[in-house]
Amino acid sequence: MKREEIIEKLREILAAAGDGTVPAVSDDSNLATDLGLSSVSMLYMVIAIEEEFGIRFDDVGASDFALLSDVVDYIEGKLK
Amino acid sequence: MKREKKEKAKLFSPKYLIYDFVKVTAGLPGLLIFRPKWIYESEEAKKRIRGGALVVSNHYGFFDPLFLMIAIWYRRHRFVCGKEFFESRARFWFRSFLCIPIDRANFNISSLRAITDAMKAGYLVSMFPEGHVNGERTGDLEDFKPGLVLMALQARAPVVPVYIKPRRSFFERVRFVVGEPIDVTSFYGDRPTFVQIEEIARAVRDKEEQLKELA
Repeated sequence: MKREEIIEKLREILAAAGDGTVPAVSDDSNLATDLGLSSVSMLYMVIAIEEEFGIRFDDVGASDFALLSDVVDYIEGKLK
Repeated sequence: MKREKKEKAKLFSPKYLIYDFVKVTAGLPGLLIFRPKWIYESEEAKKRIRGGALVVSNHYGFFDPLFLMIAIWYRRHRFVCGKEFFESRARFWFRSFLCIPIDRANFNISSLRAITDAMKAGYLVSMFPEGHVNGERTGDLEDFKPGLVLMALQARAPVVPVYIKPRRSFFERVRFVVGEPIDVTSFYGDRPTFVQIEEIARAVRDKEEQLKELA
């Protein structure tokens, strides 16, 4: 799966769990400050990612991902 | 995806030995010292809790886990507690009591899985969603951490609110109010948004406030 496709799916996940609008995101988007995700929101997103991509996250914490690119890199690594 | 062996709560098991021994031996002295007064929100709240559930309570003192064990005496409780306790000298007791460690500074997916797996296995998981001991003996509640909603949603388990009335002295009788189980999916279904998760946590806290009035 291409990086752009992963980002697009992440946008859909964030839209579904957010207010319904697809957020404008880039690799540099900060999950906490730009997207306003709390620690619980972050784990909620991780659960949705696991279901969407069919992967299982290792022991990651809510503060282990700072930028959206960190999440995309992690997913890419798991999909390889 | 790797398939893991799922644990099931059992009626008897060697791993419950210390928990049950302490419960039986400390039970009678506990009842005599604290003279507990059970108050139920309704007839529905009096019904015994079966299967996995998440018990949430206010937290004002050291004895609160014991009070919760008395409040719902017929079940074994698996308490969610800070991982630092598992690194302390008392770690043997936390392990023996089948407590589930959680990193309060960095809530992680493995803690969430351990908690939800325990409830799915049929255990009663108990926690204090204020996140720490609330030193205010007025009984005023702090905000509840929304993680409780995520735990209940993932496990598809009800949330059972319990309010423990702060005591003014050690020998004062303990009073607790047991509320009706709350189905967290009854608010916004099983896929709430980020904002709705926080609203549900506030609703659970509001319920706790209602129980406080009955104490």
